[in-house]
Amino acid sequence: MDLSLLQALEKEIILEVLRRDKQLRIIEEDRIRRMKCELQELRRRGAKSLARQYGERTCARCQRPLGKFWNSGAVCRGCSHRICSKCRVGVGAANWKCTVCHAYRDVKIRSGDWFLEEKGKKFPAITDKYETVGETLLKTYNVLSHISVVPPTPPPQLDYQFLSRSGDLKHAQPFTKSVENLMVSFTSHIKKISTSQNDVRDLLRVNNSPRGIKYSNQKSLSDTDINKCGILCKVPSLPNLFKKNKDSDQEGSSTGAEEETSFSSEYSGGRRSSNSSVSTECGLFESVSVAGELELAIAYNANSSCLEITVGACRGLTHGDTKKRKCHPYVKLYVLPEKSSKMKTTVKKNATDPVYNEIFKYQIDRNLLFGKRLQATVWHAGTLKRKVFLGHVLVPLDGWRYEDKSSQCFTWYPLCPKIESPDGGTVE
Amino acid sequence: MSTFFETLQFIVAITMTDGDYDYLIKLLALGDSGVGKTTFLYRYTDNKFNPKFITTVGIDFREKRVMYTASNPNGTTTGKTFKVHLQLWDTAGQERFRSLTTAFFRDAMGFLLMFDLTSQQSFLNVRNWMSQLQANAYCENPDIVLVGNKADLADQREVQEKQAKELADKYGIPYFETSAATGAEVDKAVITLLDLVMKRMEQCVDKPPAEPASGNGATKLGNAQPNERKCAC
Ligand SMILES: Nc1nc2c(ncn2[C@@H]2O[C@H](COP(=O)(O)OP(=O)(O)OP(=O)(O)O)[C@@H](O)[C@H]2O)c(=O)[nH]1
Ligand SMILES: [Mg+2]
Ligand SMILES: [Zn+2]
Ligand SMILES: [Zn+2]
Repeated sequence: MDLSLLQALEKEIILEVLRRDKQLRIIEEDRIRRMKCELQELRRRGAKSLARQYGERTCARCQRPLGKFWNSGAVCRGCSHRICSKCRVGVGAANWKCTVCHAYRDVKIRSGDWFLEEKGKKFPAITDKYETVGETLLKTYNVLSHISVVPPTPPPQLDYQFLSRSGDLKHAQPFTKSVENLMVSFTSHIKKISTSQNDVRDLLRVNNSPRGIKYSNQKSLSDTDINKCGILCKVPSLPNLFKKNKDSDQEGSSTGAEEETSFSSEYSGGRRSSNSSVSTECGLFESVSVAGELELAIAYNANSSCLEITVGACRGLTHGDTKKRKCHPYVKLYVLPEKSSKMKTTVKKNATDPVYNEIFKYQIDRNLLFGKRLQATVWHAGTLKRKVFLGHVLVPLDGWRYEDKSSQCFTWYPLCPKIESPDGGTVE
Repeated sequence: MSTFFETLQFIVAITMTDGDYDYLIKLLALGDSGVGKTTFLYRYTDNKFNPKFITTVGIDFREKRVMYTASNPNGTTTGKTFKVHLQLWDTAGQERFRSLTTAFFRDAMGFLLMFDLTSQQSFLNVRNWMSQLQANAYCENPDIVLVGNKADLADQREVQEKQAKELADKYGIPYFETSAATGAEVDKAVITLLDLVMKRMEQCVDKPPAEPASGNGATKLGNAQPNERKCAC
């Protein structure tokens, strides 16, 4: 959609409405995040611990033992777990669900996921079902007019204030084509703007190639792309829920099983981690549609000055090898814009719902997190070192409230179809 | 343009900027220019009437928090009340905004399709708006309430109730005759739509998974049995 036919004043009026909408959405996303964290907690508490013997007959929710003949429990229609009579919600002998399945249903309604699901059915082509039309427009037309006057290198000392107050948008240039190319999502940047030079440079880097041909040939991706997948527009969802509670229920004791992998110098010796490989990867990714979600937990350990990222699991991934319907997924992490921060999980064979439970520690001073983003990409490890892009997630790290216990728990992030270069878009 | 109203809206917004609600429901008003969409929503959210015609530029929205009491399918209330945050999108009726406004249809959960009881033309256009909805809304058959507005202008009426009712019945949607000037039936129209959307949410999550969107509500209870075998223990 195009606002180019409208007068500048009209656009400004519309953008003002969209900014109000954005405010509302931020509140909403926060609410949903809290809701889903609570749900995750509930699931975690009730989850069968791996330490427990599998043969044991216990209620999957409260872990009380079940008898062979009486109080033997019954299987929940939602998750297929055996559930004692106390952990059931709902009426009738046939129509009950276990506490967790019930909570899932409730969250699916209250979070609006039901709506996104329906919308996704009718418009499967929408790349990001979480993004509203308003959001898209705002991203496309929100202009920081200052960008055009600041030379990209060396990065000037930018006054934080002048970028961060929405009042400044009043000075925004009219919506000419050239300005359009300089579009940077204002609102999602507020949180990202850092005084560090690196980040300012990031902010100012804009893409001049017209939309559409971006994937094929470009080496640096614009901030507009980054924002497309920005976390602000994203909250974890619950698709495939009723099909797939089973494996994910078991990650209750994840910490016991993790494999501590340290991020390493893999980058320098890496096979395909240079910028140019990214465009190849992008080419590959276009052939595979992106679906599913990635479960992450992010925490900051103040004692060890470590960012601790736990890759929990994925669910509902596309088959990386569509012909053979095979999928050997692994997850790669970067703390953008750092190039050296590559971390990788193990490759899981034949799994579209792989469970990793691997913890990665990234040593970084806490206040340096400002302006950084965690990028998690899911890849299919194909034959002959071919890899196929299965989706990615971007989480701004500065917006993270590390004090807030609830934000440290696992969260499902929907995978986005776009990818950016690991360094956040450096021109070579 | 109207700084007074903007200020007012701002104040309202401040009191509502917390996440202390149970549902965010997005409704959208559509219909020809001048049928009274903006005035209708203003009446609903602020209980005031604005006789001035200030045509809407593109899109706008208003907000309101309401308490919603859930009812069982048989009509009895469950006694549970929820806080609902309503986001009421107001679209411009003018043709030149059409591509913009119809794009916003996609993100709304329910629709107030309005026409002006004193304008036959606005009523004739209802059919066009319906097809716009079918094409652009989140699903083929979204929840819609047909609203004939300006019921207070009885002497200028051009659309008869019977006519409008028939059309609504044809689409299988409720019909209300409202007046933003007096406030008659305004709340009722919105709440009816809210109720439809709330029921739709339940239906959507309760329909068996993996089944296509064809809303066949008949749940096969027999399905539960075979699962017995694959006990997780
Ligand atoms: N008497 C009377 N006048 C009304 C009523 N509803 C709206 N009006 C008047 O009709 C005119 C148009 O109303 P708006 O609400 O601005 O119309 P709109 O549908 O928003 O029009 P666009 O924004 O151009 O799409 C205004 O002058 C209103 O005061 C009503 O119920 N009774
Ligand atoms: Mg209007
Ligand atoms: Zn139990
Ligand atoms: Zn269950």
